[in-house]
Amino acid sequence: MNLSIDEATQKRLSGIRAIGESQIRPIGLDADRLGRPTPPDHEFFGLLLKVGLGRSRWAGENAEPSDGEASKESTPARPGSSRSMLCIAEEMSYWDRGVAVSFPGPGLGEPPLLSMGTLDQKRRFLGPFLQPERPRWGSFAMTEPGAGSDVAAIATSARKDGDHWILNGDKSFAANASRADWILVWATIDASQGREGHRAFIIERDTPGLGDFVIERKMGLKAYESTSFTLRDCRVPDENLIGGEEHYARRAGFKGAMRSFNATRPLVAVMAVGIGRAALDESLAFAREHDLLGLPRVRDRLERVRRGLRAARLLCWRAAWLADHSQPNIVEASMAKATAPTVALEAASLGMELLGEVGARGDHLIEKLFRDVKAMDIVEGTGQVQRIVMARHLVQLPRE
Amino acid sequence: MIDFAPGDELELIRATAREFAADHLRPGLRQHEKARGISPDVQRAFAEIGFASLEWPEELGGNGLGALARAFVLEELSAGDPGAALALDPLGPALYPLLELSKSDVTGELGQPLLDTPGSRALLVWNGEGRRSKLVNDRGVVSGTVPWVPADRVDLLVVLDEDGAFAVSEGIDLKSVRGSGLRAAGASELSLIDAPIRASFSDRSAAARALARARLYKAAMLVGVMREAAEFSRQYAVDRVAFGKPIAHHQALAFLITDMATAVDSTRLLLHDACWRIEAREPADEACATTYVEAIEQSMFVTPNGVQILGGHGFMQDYPVEKFMRDARALGLFWGGIDSAREDAGNELIGIDGPVPLSVEAQL
Ligand SMILES: Cc1cc2nc3c(=O)[nH]c(=O)nc-3n(C[C@H](O)[C@H](O)[C@H](O)COP(=O)(O)OP(=O)(O)OC[C@H]3O[C@@H](n4cnc5c(N)ncnc54)[C@H](O)[C@@H]3O)c2cc1C
Repeated sequence: MNLSIDEATQKRLSGIRAIGESQIRPIGLDADRLGRPTPPDHEFFGLLLKVGLGRSRWAGENAEPSDGEASKESTPARPGSSRSMLCIAEEMSYWDRGVAVSFPGPGLGEPPLLSMGTLDQKRRFLGPFLQPERPRWGSFAMTEPGAGSDVAAIATSARKDGDHWILNGDKSFAANASRADWILVWATIDASQGREGHRAFIIERDTPGLGDFVIERKMGLKAYESTSFTLRDCRVPDENLIGGEEHYARRAGFKGAMRSFNATRPLVAVMAVGIGRAALDESLAFAREHDLLGLPRVRDRLERVRRGLRAARLLCWRAAWLADHSQPNIVEASMAKATAPTVALEAASLGMELLGEVGARGDHLIEKLFRDVKAMDIVEGTGQVQRIVMARHLVQLPRE
Repeated sequence: MIDFAPGDELELIRATAREFAADHLRPGLRQHEKARGISPDVQRAFAEIGFASLEWPEELGGNGLGALARAFVLEELSAGDPGAALALDPLGPALYPLLELSKSDVTGELGQPLLDTPGSRALLVWNGEGRRSKLVNDRGVVSGTVPWVPADRVDLLVVLDEDGAFAVSEGIDLKSVRGSGLRAAGASELSLIDAPIRASFSDRSAAARALARARLYKAAMLVGVMREAAEFSRQYAVDRVAFGKPIAHHQALAFLITDMATAVDSTRLLLHDACWRIEAREPADEACATTYVEAIEQSMFVTPNGVQILGGHGFMQDYPVEKFMRDARALGLFWGGIDSAREDAGNELIGIDGPVPLSVEAQL
């Protein structure tokens, strides 16, 4: 057993701390004040590329199995990588979670491509992210106006037409969609088949019929765009069906999406820990400055928040550690995701109480964290959905 | 790098403890409670495994294992029966102040006779902040009353406060009381009348360390009790049908059950984190205190809900869940209880000027 952060990771964290303080946090505060996402041509994104960020995790063709079979997402390139990724994601979110999501890179579209994509697809869609000459984004669109938690109910349709597919539907809240080179879109070939009918497509930018981008106005996390868009008779070539038809014939489609969620849930959960930690540090500093630390009521609640954050971080780490050892982690991943956002909200909410009217002014970092953090219990499966997932395993809760 | 694997040795220890609890503790749950003690057979079986000297120093002939081993064993034994777990451990958490005496040979002199005599008991009593009535040390002789100790026999009493500890083995008077939880260990009012001090130390940081370890001891027991309460009620909810389906499939209960499982796992992770700090010789007093707070809070979420899930049956003594609730409540009342632990953890926290670390970080 070893529950410490090793030196190598610690070094990377202190690198992030440096850009966190000088860039990430100020950019996040700016976006929040201006009420708009950081523009794609912001110089910060170029700077990130220079320091090696904003790239794909794909190891490149040479690391692929020779038969071109999809590589297993759960096997990390090197030992410990999911765990150190968690540490890094937490630290970035500590400085600004919205800015962290705005970072260039293939984003949430990457896990399904890694787990289900053919070699050709990885080459075409992740290849450009290996040594990007300019900031590039990928995007992931599952949610629709009529289907969020109930992913099986998505209505965006895909109809075969020769060697193409025709897609029609509406998608909601997809991160970085309007600036993305491509959007990974989930659609159905037959809504009556439920999950069996689901297919994932890469829709490239400038595909005719892809449009009506609306950047939503949000309570927080304003630094990145959550964008709704429509697909109107979008013609997508066969080669953009992720994994190819054979993949779905093996009924692996929906499982593919769900498996990538198991990998991302601890990551999103640990981001909540990062936000909560920022709130705790700010709260402690404010309380010290205002002579509140002598009050047992204040001290007790700060203690509770720290304890909750520590437990939440351990839950996240455990889920990632299991993933790194290719062990099942569905319950553990959901446990982490169900826990961290509420603890982090408690941290920010306590901060607001300590600030009092200073919080109500709307110009304090803690007030922003309070607005930002609520999304963490909604994205990547709500707290309720996590409990459903756990209950399927713990008490064999039947699927509807 | 972050690693949760306990390793083969600890796995073996855990499996042994689990088997012992299943074979000897769980079946006698009510009988031990009623008899306020453990049958000699079970005591013999326990002595054979050697868990009593788990943390006893190697140079004194013990196993010299650490905090994690202790936590693993206590979780398993307490999942079987926490009262019995206390009754079976001759030194119990009194070990920790005794170890702080280890610069002299007093540790062995005081502790060894208990390890050699099955059924003997050392007790630790907290006499510092949070204690309602204090034992008074008047020039080497001690007097006063402790309203409840989980024992019907005391061979050695160790009294700990913020400044240090002392040990007493004579002049101890026990009066039997009914007890609320943990009755298998006995239940008495303890009085000292001019009891002579046999050994003592005064060292604030040693005292704080001993207290931290004692908190961890009870936290590990709480993890065992709440794990069992969560598991027992989960299984019951899968089997019990109401309104046409297993009660576990009504979402209000399904979510409650997942939250109970989460409570157990979170507490256990904090427990292991604190134990790991101790073994890594990192500062751990705060982590121990906060773990005890978590264990108490979560046990008061999990064990009453364990009763709730069984409904009226939960309230009846045919099922063990009401006992888990009483046992958990009692386990949360030691060493000044939750408020004293909160005080220590909170004071460490507010002393931090700058970012608050959640975990041990490598020094760059
Ligand atoms: C900031 C932000 C960024 C996002 N980014 C993306 C993105 O990049 N790509 C993307 O595809 N989506 C994205 N989303 C969408 C997000 O995944 C969905 O909002 C989320 O899955 C919830 O779906 P919904 O909004 O339709 O709520 P609903 O599914 O309508 O849920 C409403 C409420 O009902 C509860 N509920 C639903 N079903 C049950 C049930 N069976 N039992 C109990 N309670 C239930 C939910 O927990 C919730 O509280 C984003 C959302 C936000 C807020």
